[in-house]
Amino acid sequence: MEELSWPKHLINVLSNPKYLFPLLLGLFVFIFPPTDRLHRIHLRLRLDRLWTNAGGVFLLVLFLSFFLFGLTDPNFRLIVTKADNVPIVGLIFLVTFFLWFSMKQALENDRRMADGKKPIEADDKDPVLVWPDLVYGEFIAMIVCTILLIVWSIVLTAPLEQPANPAVSPNPSKAPWYFLGLQEMLVYFDPWIAGVVFPTVIIIGIMAIPYLDNNKKGCGYYSFADRKMAVSVFMFFWLVLWIFLIVVGTFLRGPNWNFFGPFEVWKISKLEALTNVNLSELIYMKLLNRRLPDNILVREMGGFLVILGYFGVLPLILMKTLFRKLHQDLGNVRFSFFTIMLLMSFSLPIKMMLRWFFNIKYIVAIPEYFFNI
Amino acid sequence: MSEPQERYYNIAKLNKVFAISSLVLLGTIGWMLLDDYARRWKGYQREFRSYEVEKTRVKFDKEKNLLKDQERYQELLVEREAAQAAYDANSAGLVDLRTELEAVQGENDLLVQQYRFTKAELDAAKYQYEEAKNHNSSNLDRAEEAFDVLQAQEKQQKLAVEVSDQEVQQKRDAFDALGVHLKEIEREQGRLAQEKTLLENKLEKIDQHAMTLPNLVADLVRDLPLIDMASPNYKIRQVVLKDLKDDLNFMQVPKVERCITCHLGIDNLDYKDLPQPFRTHSNLEQYVDNDSPHPLEDFGCTSCHGGRGRGTDFVTAAHTPSSDEQKKEWEEQYNWEAFHHWDTPMVPLQYTESGCFKCHSGETVIAGAENLNLGLQLIERAGCYTCHEIEKYKGWMQPGPNLKAIGTKVTPEWARRWIADPHSFRHNTWMPAFWGQSNNSDPNSQARADQEVRSIAHYLFAASKEIELTDIPVPGDPVRGEELVASVGCFGCHKIEPDPVVTPATRQNLQREQGPNLIGLGSKTSATWVFNWLKDPHRFRADTRMPNLRLTDQEAADIAAYLTQSDISKRDDFDRKPLAPIDEAIVDTLVTEFLTRTMTRAQADEQRAGMALDDKLEYAGQKLIAHYGCFSCHAIEGFDDMKPIGTALTQEGSKSIHNLDFGFIHIDHSRQAWFKQKLKEPRIFDENRVKTPGEKLRMPNFNFTDEEADALVTVLLGFTKAKPGHLKLTGASVEEQYIQEGQRVVRQFNCQGCHELEGEGGAIQPKVFDWLVKYQDKEENEADAVFKSFSPPNLIGEGKKVHAQWLFDFLHAPSTIRPWLKTRMPTFNFTAAQSNALVRYFSALDRVDFPFAEMVSDAEIARDYEDGKKLFSEEYLACGKCHIVGDQTPGGSADSWAPDFTLARDRLKPQWMIDWLMDPQALLPGTKMPGYFEAEYFDDAGPEDILGGDETLQIKALRNFILGLGAEKGKTESSARSDDRPDPKQTVVGGRVSKAFTVPGD
Repeated sequence: MEELSWPKHLINVLSNPKYLFPLLLGLFVFIFPPTDRLHRIHLRLRLDRLWTNAGGVFLLVLFLSFFLFGLTDPNFRLIVTKADNVPIVGLIFLVTFFLWFSMKQALENDRRMADGKKPIEADDKDPVLVWPDLVYGEFIAMIVCTILLIVWSIVLTAPLEQPANPAVSPNPSKAPWYFLGLQEMLVYFDPWIAGVVFPTVIIIGIMAIPYLDNNKKGCGYYSFADRKMAVSVFMFFWLVLWIFLIVVGTFLRGPNWNFFGPFEVWKISKLEALTNVNLSELIYMKLLNRRLPDNILVREMGGFLVILGYFGVLPLILMKTLFRKLHQDLGNVRFSFFTIMLLMSFSLPIKMMLRWFFNIKYIVAIPEYFFNI
Repeated sequence: MSEPQERYYNIAKLNKVFAISSLVLLGTIGWMLLDDYARRWKGYQREFRSYEVEKTRVKFDKEKNLLKDQERYQELLVEREAAQAAYDANSAGLVDLRTELEAVQGENDLLVQQYRFTKAELDAAKYQYEEAKNHNSSNLDRAEEAFDVLQAQEKQQKLAVEVSDQEVQQKRDAFDALGVHLKEIEREQGRLAQEKTLLENKLEKIDQHAMTLPNLVADLVRDLPLIDMASPNYKIRQVVLKDLKDDLNFMQVPKVERCITCHLGIDNLDYKDLPQPFRTHSNLEQYVDNDSPHPLEDFGCTSCHGGRGRGTDFVTAAHTPSSDEQKKEWEEQYNWEAFHHWDTPMVPLQYTESGCFKCHSGETVIAGAENLNLGLQLIERAGCYTCHEIEKYKGWMQPGPNLKAIGTKVTPEWARRWIADPHSFRHNTWMPAFWGQSNNSDPNSQARADQEVRSIAHYLFAASKEIELTDIPVPGDPVRGEELVASVGCFGCHKIEPDPVVTPATRQNLQREQGPNLIGLGSKTSATWVFNWLKDPHRFRADTRMPNLRLTDQEAADIAAYLTQSDISKRDDFDRKPLAPIDEAIVDTLVTEFLTRTMTRAQADEQRAGMALDDKLEYAGQKLIAHYGCFSCHAIEGFDDMKPIGTALTQEGSKSIHNLDFGFIHIDHSRQAWFKQKLKEPRIFDENRVKTPGEKLRMPNFNFTDEEADALVTVLLGFTKAKPGHLKLTGASVEEQYIQEGQRVVRQFNCQGCHELEGEGGAIQPKVFDWLVKYQDKEENEADAVFKSFSPPNLIGEGKKVHAQWLFDFLHAPSTIRPWLKTRMPTFNFTAAQSNALVRYFSALDRVDFPFAEMVSDAEIARDYEDGKKLFSEEYLACGKCHIVGDQTPGGSADSWAPDFTLARDRLKPQWMIDWLMDPQALLPGTKMPGYFEAEYFDDAGPEDILGGDETLQIKALRNFILGLGAEKGKTESSARSDDRPDPKQTVVGGRVSKAFTVPGD
């Protein structure tokens, strides 16, 4: 096998989520700053220029050149052009475009409002008729979409694979693309959490949004400055916990659910050293240098304390420090609900990084009762 | 409509956009339909149809021309014209007759209709009447009356109809009589032109140029998209096989073969020169054709070829290319890709015979499947079945020699050189090489190999038992020995081939490798050992396949001298090969490695420290023998009940590709590629792997050639888990089971090394020819004429020929039948089960009753004595001119002699003797026995003055007289078996008494 060129090698290394994820998470808080202080840094770094026309061109050129460069590589080509994966490539471009488009409008409105003007949407008050302006347009759009779908299905054969063989499971066995985020969670959490608790909480959380968000600003127009926290939290869920995990699951997860760089051959024989420990083992064996106690509760005491601290004490600390203003705005009930939801969602990246950097498998591990967190 | 200025968009523009997008949508829907409609197989069917039209037209023209040249047909044309003219001339009478006929017919039609009405009413009235009777209704009388009236009416009308029918028939006969001549001519014409008419009809159906207009329109329309659902020309064709299943894992579904959708000319010889996919199947007598043993309707395609019968596309049918070039071609032409999830992709063409094995697995030789047969025979020779469990070979004997007494045979030094590299001693040995392979040739491994070999040899010699050898009583003469080896039959199983000869891998060649190539025995062992072995091999091992040739001491001594003291016996370069000194450090490593498998390092070290060097060598040797599986092929002390070490191969052909380790070797990911690679270079998949010595692959190298490897791959691909229906399996009847059982014995003892059996074998014959030329001073053409008479007999028809009891006795203790033969039927020490199997086998082959045959009474023999004697005498048939009768040998050279008549009574079946006298050539083609009573001039064959010239009686008399010869002899001797050689030397061999005969005539 030939050696990889250094840019490909670099991309391979960087695309390992172990590095990519913290990197993106770090960038994220500056690109979508939730607080005023971070927003000031954001402005100082001139990151707001991403949402100008020039920024749009920059993003387009960045993604395009990555894909064009990548397509010169046979492995990259194989994965990206697979009929299954083409929509995800489209998703990358479409999500970026709409993100840019909405942020551009938000930025413009923010500027206008900083100048004391009303947002653009406020000027645009001409009523439009449902027929023909709305329905006719929608009808045409529907026809065009149908054409697109038919042509797509003819040109790019439907991603049906060869007849299955029940004795041979595909490796990797992947969930449909929209569930790849959930499948990724299964790597870090037990099924009862990743498959039951989290999806339920997500649905409850989404239902709760209108009741949690009592910020009157930003209704009916695009804006970032007025709703930094809301936009940032949404973007965290949407981009980091949803889109990013789908992209990772599609392009970077290969046989045996191993990570593969975009320029790496999907070898079924690839092995990674994956010996994991539980928090209790870390505490007793490494720190205290002794055997694990036999009593389950004593053994998992540390884990329970951590969980208690994370969900019980941390919100109180946040209330007094980082989220003081938020607490004032939301009140006790809304605040506690919101914070706990947020902490839950943050548990995923935390758990990921604990795994990657400390090989920690479970915070609380009671396999005797199938209870692992 | 509201005011236009209220609209946000320009409506006229929207209308345009709408119109354009609608048109585009319509276009894409059309595209979609076309995309769905266009299937490659439709193109093939269209193309085939044009070939079909072409072929039919050619045939039609040919038929037409044939008719043109046929006199009778031309005559008929003229006759018909005349008849037609005569018929037309009588037109007036015809018209009258027709009018009358039509009138009568009209009346008849009406009567029939009336009768039908009445009949229906009668049935209804009958029902009413029965109901009324049942319920004792008040209407009973009325119902009865109505029924009676109708019944009378029905009878009357029936009569009227019959009368009218008769009248119609009369008129019609009169009418037909006028045209009868014309009809006859037409009928004969039709008969002569039948073929032409059929072809013409066919052309009208398929050839657009020959169609009527409505048919042409229908033909054009019926295949249009959407309309083609009704009755298209071009459609999927399939055969459903209910009793053959596709195994879809956890589920069996009947095979559905759609291959014929594209392979359209598969069963028709007309298309044998067309390109694929239309070409005719090869060998239609055997396959596909309805009259063949494997008709398409019953066997389909994929049951032999593999592939996916339901696929209707090149890729989905799971075609497999047979070479890299073809693969490339297919990729370009058909976008071919392997069909990953289908467990049974098509078998590449060169391995197709593997499909035969599914049903013919019980047979030893599968007629027509040469590659498969070669592969099976290679498995037997190489002894694959000893390390790898193979259902077919359960209970077969070990292929390698018994090593329990190795100490009496070879020296430890020789054994070490041999084990390390057997091919350097004997270029064509079947002992494979374990060392010097790709995964153990680095210096470290080599140093280790030396000690491994030493340990193994050490164990073998330490465990070896002593067998007492008797000294050679007489000095041997190598020259005489060489002649003996050439004549007594050693070459049926052995070769003497000092230097490698490039021989093609044929089964006949393999038959002569039943035993080792007899070179270098002087280097390997002693003359004394060879002498003792020759005298009684069964003393060394009761179940050895080496038979006892009942050699005299002098003969055995001569052969031993030849094999150990002549040119072919030396292997100086081999004897000089250096042997590495002992390296205790490596031996320690070996011991430690094996000890730590069951104990900790500290325990192992302690145990090892307590062992002397000899103990260590013995321990390591024992473990290594278990590791490398030496005990599989060789009987070794202490390894009697070990399990085979290799992968079971019984279902290897169905093994999932995911279970084959391709390592870092870049070959096709297919079973056949893996198998071939493994056979050619068994250790290759270790390349670039980091493994401890114990983890390394250990299958030894047999140095298979490409042809041999391909034959073996064919067999391996045939070892599948497919279970064809009971009806498809061979070996279902008792006879077939007897045959298969016998074939196994024949194969294991290599009967075909000497005898021709089931049309093959007689491997020794070329060597008999050589012997005739070299030692009997025959010219080559002379030898060519008689070498068959000097070869062991052809056993065709043996079941019909000899009594079962005689054959059983003969197998147990062979006796001389053909004294002129130098090759001897050896004593094999068969078990009763093996002898029985053989006797049953011959009976089953000839489909004769088993075990007993009819007898001829003494009275009959006595009755025919005089007549038979006359026929037998010099004046008539002169049987004694060639045949031996007891002590009387005929004159002339031995190659014209024929078997002893005194043996006939016990040996030959009476009916066979009759058949034999009638037509010897039919029973044994090429026999020297003249046919006195040939069918052509049977009535004139016999002399007129005996038995009134009745040939049938004469043959019987002659037969009975010959049977009487045996009876006479039986009176004088206690045993009917031939024991009449001048100087029977009796030797006690291995506790059994056997007789060695000196042969007269040289």
